[in-house]
Amino acid sequence: MPDRRISALAHRTPLQAGDGALSLAERPQVAMRGLRVDAKAANRALKKTKGLALPETPNTSRHTEGVHILWLGPDEWLFLGEVDAVHALRDRLGDGLAQIHHQLLDVRDQNAVIALSGKRAREALMKLTTLDLHPGVFRPGDVAGSLFGRATATLHLLETYDPERDPEFLLIVRRSYADYLWCVLARAGREFGLPDQTPKAGEIMRP
Amino acid sequence: MFVIECPWCGPRDQSEFSCGGEAHISRPAERSDMSDEEWAEFVFMRTNAKGLFAERWNHAAGCRRWFNVLRNTSTDEILAVYRMGETPPDVSTGLPATPCGEAEIGSGNDAAKVMVEAADGTTNTRDTV
Repeated sequence: MPDRRISALAHRTPLQAGDGALSLAERPQVAMRGLRVDAKAANRALKKTKGLALPETPNTSRHTEGVHILWLGPDEWLFLGEVDAVHALRDRLGDGLAQIHHQLLDVRDQNAVIALSGKRAREALMKLTTLDLHPGVFRPGDVAGSLFGRATATLHLLETYDPERDPEFLLIVRRSYADYLWCVLARAGREFGLPDQTPKAGEIMRP
Repeated sequence: MFVIECPWCGPRDQSEFSCGGEAHISRPAERSDMSDEEWAEFVFMRTNAKGLFAERWNHAAGCRRWFNVLRNTSTDEILAVYRMGETPPDVSTGLPATPCGEAEIGSGNDAAKVMVEAADGTTNTRDTV
């Protein structure tokens, strides 16, 4: 059966600055699983499962088998990646944690993933948040939940990002906040060359 | 605005947090003979301290965990941050000098303000001198 789901930002078209310094796009194909479990018990149980340790340091992530494991809280993690990779990891994780109390949920439809990339991406994000986004402070693999504009979202700088290249930030946001966050990001990016959005039918874009 | 040190995420802006009111209020042991006054005391009555105050905060936009904060309510200085279930650290703090002679409890309580006699013989509250 074909996948009939419509992503949260299907009505928006990706935006890219003419000089390539900034681009904004949705990542509708990303699969997500949320895990709630006691950290110590889980990592003891997962010792036998190769490569599957959960990061216990706050606001960090681990990249394993094509999946990013993001720390969201002392007993909460998010698995993020391609559908097949996340599914494969889910099965192994379920086996590893079978003996302890845990919750592993598909949160793909609950969240939207927005990617902001390019050499001006940090500056555009700095306009919206109080987080310290200096390259020496917010490094590849780092995760931080914060306010962007008025929306609560989780910011992640991909660990696989090559420091020689331009950074790619992922913003994981509740589905109902996605359109608002998209619009404030598009607005913040205008001074770095993002083109104006094409309004939806009946939508008035403030200048 | 001030910066709060989350026990997990480190220093973050106040806008990421929400305050949950006074800390260390424990639910009374279940008793069938509890009076309405006793329940009201537990449910509604809170101290309104000027100076050292223990309160609960939630890192709502970050890790979404509750924790405790010891704050000086008159200076907004955060004296200690500790996790749920931990004993409050032993800290002491002073009150700022208030030239207008505010009461020790609360603020803006005109009835408790010190009355002074001005040079011209008129009586006035000290904060208008």
